[in-house]
Amino acid sequence: MTFVSKPPDVRNQATANAEKVDFERINVTFDAAGGDSVEVLKDVNLAVSPGEFVSIVGPSGCGKSTLLRILAGLVEPTSGRIRIDGKSLSDNRERVGFMFQRDTLLPWATVEQNIRVGAELAGVPRNQIGEKLEKLIDLLRLAGFENRRPHQLSGGMRQRVSLGRLLAFEPEIYLMDEPFGALDSQTKIAMGREVLRIWSLHRRSVLFVTHDIDEAVTLSDRVVVFSARPGTIKLDLKIDLERPRDPQQLRKNLQFGAYIDQIWSALE
Amino acid sequence: MAVKDEITARPASSKSGTPGGVRLTRDRLIVFFAVILFWESAVRLGVDPLWISSPSLVGERLWQLALSGQLVKHVSRTLTEAGLGLLLAFVVGVPIGMAMARFKYANSVAEPFVMALYSLPRVALAPLFIIWFGIDLFSKVMMAFSTVLFIFMLNIHEGLKTIDRDLVDLFRTMRAPKTYVLRKVLLPWLVPWLIASLRIGIGLSLVGAVVAELIGSSSGVGWYIEHSAGRLDTTGVFAGLVSLTLIAVAGNLVVARLEKHFSAWRPS
Repeated sequence: MTFVSKPPDVRNQATANAEKVDFERINVTFDAAGGDSVEVLKDVNLAVSPGEFVSIVGPSGCGKSTLLRILAGLVEPTSGRIRIDGKSLSDNRERVGFMFQRDTLLPWATVEQNIRVGAELAGVPRNQIGEKLEKLIDLLRLAGFENRRPHQLSGGMRQRVSLGRLLAFEPEIYLMDEPFGALDSQTKIAMGREVLRIWSLHRRSVLFVTHDIDEAVTLSDRVVVFSARPGTIKLDLKIDLERPRDPQQLRKNLQFGAYIDQIWSALE
Repeated sequence: MAVKDEITARPASSKSGTPGGVRLTRDRLIVFFAVILFWESAVRLGVDPLWISSPSLVGERLWQLALSGQLVKHVSRTLTEAGLGLLLAFVVGVPIGMAMARFKYANSVAEPFVMALYSLPRVALAPLFIIWFGIDLFSKVMMAFSTVLFIFMLNIHEGLKTIDRDLVDLFRTMRAPKTYVLRKVLLPWLVPWLIASLRIGIGLSLVGAVVAELIGSSSGVGWYIEHSAGRLDTTGVFAGLVSLTLIAVAGNLVVARLEKHFSAWRPS
């Protein structure tokens, strides 16, 4: 990262304050096998407001996951600047929570122990963890399954446990990388409803990567469409649909259909 | 790679507890008694016991040795040597295996040397070890240690190579301290590999201890076998072999117990 040596820019600090997350001219190039390099992201500018739910859609390999991984500290951008609350990523001490498509649960740990990991890493005082876990288990409708192991649960329930661990971590920013991509469409819609319900309680910023355009429009305040590799932003669409939303009711909404069409044509 | 594959056994499977149940136990006993019967009848039918002794003679000898306290003396000596060697190999080998996975470049530099040492028949080191470490306990422990060390090193390394990257990444995004990841992810992940190493290590530590005893010692099962063979006492040799077999079987039972305890969570 070449930009870290720059002196703090007062003007930028001031203007960036309004945004929760600010990606500025992000470029990512990976070294590929055989000495080639692959340009994954090119000049991506994206800002997310506090409490905003932003979905990213785009063809496979367009770098949408990479953008999330940068924010989570797993990937270093080749160039560009990322700020959270106006502070650089390394100065930021706020929690960023990540959720993968795969459930990434500890296979030997029970539902409760898996969720506990989030609370422990968030530094929740030991004597408050029990109560917190109980609330989360209720919230996610996992009561009665506390002592099950991941392999005894369905795919949907495993993702609910992952979500529980994420919530227990109390992140300021939620990064969700196709979290329900591996689920059947019915379970996916149920999980979407669940996410909306839980998100409406806390209203944190969310960056949500998905292949499912219906899902993106249903959940989001904004949908960002990426082009094929190297990923650039093709469309940044504000979704003006009233909340609370119900996934099934939305399908009958004309405006919903119009948004879907718009995104489809941007993808083509 | 071929050499490595031989010793990096698959992680312990879950089913070794009770496969088949009563019928299996019965059939195993039938095979056992058939072998004993064949052996005994061979002697009765005219094969000179000088060559193959006989089950009844061996049984009698073991009984005498047990009564005179010799059996306990030799067995406990060999057990101590092999046990200390195994323990030392565990304590030294596991951190080295972890370091091999952690410091990839250093590992690439060291790999040919490690593999050369690993491929060297450690048995050939026994005379040297006796010069270096004396004819007492220490040289036997070191022999057992040197035969088992690589098993732990290579298995732990292999186990860490297969670790679920997403799982580790997830803990990184939550800024989990290294000790937390070690405790909650790496060590539980390695349990099956540790058990597999123990399973192989028990047999090999006995090899190391007994070989060193054969070359220079004044007690232990290996010494007793060597001593008996020197006097053409085939019965004594077989009595020693039977004791060694029993030690190994007992060791494997302990491992099976450990495995059952630690893999209780696994899908069956």
